[in-house]
Amino acid sequence: MEDESRNSIATMPVLMKQGAEAKLYKSTFYGKPCIIKERFTKCYRHPSLDKSLTAHRIKSEVRALLRCRMNGICTPTVYFTNMENSSIYMEEIEDAQTVREYIQHVQANENSDTANNILKPLGVKVGEILGIMHSNNIVHGDLTTSNMLLRGNPAGLDVVIIDFGLSHFENFAEEKGVDLYVLERAILSTHPNTEDFFQTILDSYKKYNLKSSVEVVAKLDEVRLRGRKRTMVG
Amino acid sequence: MDSTISLALFRNVENAKEVRQNVMNGTFEAALLKPSMICDPFQVIVAANRAIHLNRQNKMITKNVHSEILFCLSPTKNISDSFRKFGLADNETSVMVVVADDIDGSTMSAICKCVKGELSDAQDVIHLTETKLIQKIYKIPDEELVVSKLLDSIVSRISSKDVLTL
Repeated sequence: MEDESRNSIATMPVLMKQGAEAKLYKSTFYGKPCIIKERFTKCYRHPSLDKSLTAHRIKSEVRALLRCRMNGICTPTVYFTNMENSSIYMEEIEDAQTVREYIQHVQANENSDTANNILKPLGVKVGEILGIMHSNNIVHGDLTTSNMLLRGNPAGLDVVIIDFGLSHFENFAEEKGVDLYVLERAILSTHPNTEDFFQTILDSYKKYNLKSSVEVVAKLDEVRLRGRKRTMVG
Repeated sequence: MDSTISLALFRNVENAKEVRQNVMNGTFEAALLKPSMICDPFQVIVAANRAIHLNRQNKMITKNVHSEILFCLSPTKNISDSFRKFGLADNETSVMVVVADDIDGSTMSAICKCVKGELSDAQDVIHLTETKLIQKIYKIPDEELVVSKLLDSIVSRISSKDVLTL
């Protein structure tokens, strides 16, 4: 049969969220639910710098999404990249909540010991994912509990990592250490009493990033003392 | 101005060579794909969408939008290799036809007249898919398929072709 897709690729995009770097629209791509991530122009930057930064970030985002998938980490499928309007069209992860929402939900309904026990398997899974990412030199750059989605029943631990807008490929323990530090800050500042949860992540991380975990964890300790930015002296 | 993409699948085709020659000499403009390399019509849509987009931006690598569809479908940057792997061969008995911007449907009806074979639902392409070969050509590791459907893995590769340095 002749199968014609006469509808335009993006029907009625609806603004969903706006961040500092991009706007997220909900739409459809040839009948599939999709998210359009459009990076907007920053007027305070020189136009040519803005253009090259935006192009660079789109490329590294798409590349990281694919690299993660190739290593067995769930990420949204990219349908189309439009460099002209700086947009990425990607799969909408349906029936999902953020890890942030899930932790808040568990903590609101259980006492802290039970909550810690319920969250433990999730911590192991997140640690495994980060270990695999780092052992393949993928640094996410913005690890927060909002950038991790749980698809379907949370007990299934189907974790999807999103927002690779600040990702890069680096084989330096410094970058990986900062990545973990950002996550630690994000977890401890959004969720009270999650020291154990982060420790679970870290323990699991060590098992999956055998090559460099010792070095990275040492860096993490160093970064904890001085903060994310390296001192630029000398 | 919106573009359109039309797909058609023919099975038990007797005159693949003749059909191909008609495209080569310009009797009608279409992309003729090897159904064994297609796992879902959506795979073709994504490639065609990209080809049409590149055509509008005048950034095509190949000379027309239909050859660009074939090239976009392929993971390699080698044009003749893409044609060999994804294009119709003379000895094939099934073909997936893609036509871009066939607004009045005249190209598709001309093709329907020319092809000696039976028209089937484009979705039936799943019965002709050679999964193992596709996995090899798109270089999809087994561990990837644990978390990703074959179609998603292929689509990700097609849409990230220009940013890929593997």
